[in-house]
Amino acid sequence: MASLIVQVIVDGLLLGGVYTLMAVGLSLAFGVTRIINFAHGEMVTYGAYVAFFAFVGLNLDPLLSLPVVAVLGAIAGHLIFRLSLEKILDDVGINQVLLTFGIGLVLQNLAVIMWTGDERATTPPYALESWLVSTDIIVAKGRLIAFGIAVLFIVSLLAWLRWSELGRATRAVSQNRSAAALVGINVRGIYALSFALSSAFGAATGAIMSFLLPITPFMGFPILVKAFAIIILGGMDSIIGTVIGAFFLAICETAIGYFVPNGIGWAEGVAFFLLVMVLIARPTGILGKAGREA
Amino acid sequence: MTIKLTRRAGLLGIAFAALMAPQAAWTQDSIKIGAPLSLSGKFVSYGAAAKRGIEMAVDVYGGKVAGKPIEVQFRDTQSDAQAAVTSFTQLLSQERVNYLIGPIATPMAMAGVPAWLRAKALWIVPGATTPLLEEKAGKEPMFFHTFPYAYHYHASLAKALREKLGPGKTLAIVYSDDAYGREHLPYAQKYFTTAGFKIVAEELVRAGATDLNPVFAKIRRAKPDVLLGLVQTTDGITLTKQAYVQRLGVPYMIGTAYPQLKQWQDATGEAQEGWVGVTTYIPGLEAAADPKYPVLFPATKDWIAAFTKRYNRQPEFVDVGGYVSTMMLLLAIENAKVDDKEKVAAELKKLDVKTMIGRGHFGPTDGGTLNQAFADVVVHQRVKNQDAIIFPPEFATTKALEQANYPK
Repeated sequence: MASLIVQVIVDGLLLGGVYTLMAVGLSLAFGVTRIINFAHGEMVTYGAYVAFFAFVGLNLDPLLSLPVVAVLGAIAGHLIFRLSLEKILDDVGINQVLLTFGIGLVLQNLAVIMWTGDERATTPPYALESWLVSTDIIVAKGRLIAFGIAVLFIVSLLAWLRWSELGRATRAVSQNRSAAALVGINVRGIYALSFALSSAFGAATGAIMSFLLPITPFMGFPILVKAFAIIILGGMDSIIGTVIGAFFLAICETAIGYFVPNGIGWAEGVAFFLLVMVLIARPTGILGKAGREA
Repeated sequence: MTIKLTRRAGLLGIAFAALMAPQAAWTQDSIKIGAPLSLSGKFVSYGAAAKRGIEMAVDVYGGKVAGKPIEVQFRDTQSDAQAAVTSFTQLLSQERVNYLIGPIATPMAMAGVPAWLRAKALWIVPGATTPLLEEKAGKEPMFFHTFPYAYHYHASLAKALREKLGPGKTLAIVYSDDAYGREHLPYAQKYFTTAGFKIVAEELVRAGATDLNPVFAKIRRAKPDVLLGLVQTTDGITLTKQAYVQRLGVPYMIGTAYPQLKQWQDATGEAQEGWVGVTTYIPGLEAAADPKYPVLFPATKDWIAAFTKRYNRQPEFVDVGGYVSTMMLLLAIENAKVDDKEKVAAELKKLDVKTMIGRGHFGPTDGGTLNQAFADVVVHQRVKNQDAIIFPPEFATTKALEQANYPK
């Protein structure tokens, strides 16, 4: 029983790392711009495809292609913001939702046209390797790598937000964009930067997902749904809240999977039920704050 | 003024009729075949493959049948049930096609049933494994199913494994919570139990689940000899990779249709070693040309060469199924000598040809389908990145059933 509980904790933590990767970019973009980016899942999808084609065509390990994928994601995110979202920043929220939803659909169908609906995956050696800690405890290398990268992303992002000039400006815009503009911060520039960073995180997550999950043009939407649940749970404007939400959801799902009959089938439903319960008790999410200027 | 208007109207009417006449005549003079297929969306790989097979069959046949040009009207069901209904309605009510081929994916075929039941064109379905289709359409004389049903999969799998493993073996089943998993489960239970397997675990997984480790923990405790994964391809990839990474240790790993797919093979790498699957066509399956129609149904290797030359890729089972189904329809139209669906259906029932995927002849199933062909299922195993055929005995390329591979 003790080893089973250890395995549940190990699996829950490793899955939490994967969920953190899925949600961190979306959380950053929403926290700063207040735009819910329904095309974020497609950033993950395109990142996964770039990593896949680099793996197949150039024999480049997804971990090595990750920085390039992230830069390409940042460029794509910046372009999407400048060419479309910036023009409707002052519109009602539903227009922004419809626009990002439309961009997501276009990107998804473009992926189908270019690459068909075939499932793909990268297969670097570590994707199929694991450590046998004891007869009952197994740690998958691919998941552990994803966990490590999630930690790296979060630490880097928090450090950037806290200690860099641009990071502080980003926090200022997130807290009060009118006041930030009054002190001379280029709010639109910060928006564009946040969107680019968010897309970079999304694309980099795709590179990691390329060896963990099957790559298809449709992989983005379930990831988006999960990411939304996580950032709502954690508090929609808090990176730390997102991390807590990711691990809360992952550990709940894993525990239900292990201890409830047919638990994997129930896990998501029960986890989302818990999410609703948390939101009833605390509508702003675990670390979210009410009353911020939009 | 009235006379002038009437004359003008009359002249316009004549001009309109003159303009439309060639169109009407052309329309009547072509044999229209409707092909509702998933040409976009999640089932696009099936739809694209069926389209390749249909187009190749029409070209090999020469583009004309019974002296008339063949006009295949493809409609994209977009892998969406509502769009599939629209495709069927357009083809049957507006285009008034007498013949339909497709769709391949089960949900799309099921969506088309109500529209088809109103028009009852001759409908060939070279896919859709659900016995629900058999229940809804199987008893209709204009319905022709050219792909195995779910129970054909499990009858062959259970028989092959019983032969290879002997009596007293235990089985664990992982099934997805979508229609695919739930529909296959009762047939797997029935045929494997009848073959003498004891089911020691049945685990439900959510389609698209990220983490299957909790399921593996339960299966590991049950210590089965065989694991049967009743999931679709995307989940099949996750199941295969995670079972390998988690060193599940079950000696024999069985899938349904996915182990034959190149995309599954490419995505699972070394984890695929030892997996068993079912199909209607697999590379290595050798069949001779049909003696009466050697050009239309050539020897397998010759057909593969022609397909590969045309499309620059290896055919998969839907490519072959689409080709064979279309070719049989064209032969039936030729034999009927007239664009009459009833007469063509009668000719189709009479056909008995040797094809690349076995005997092309329609007969009834135990489940109630009046016109079923190609119900024979091939059981194959991935061994050293190749396919070894283990069942039926007449096509077998190996006698041994290998154990699945795990990291040391």
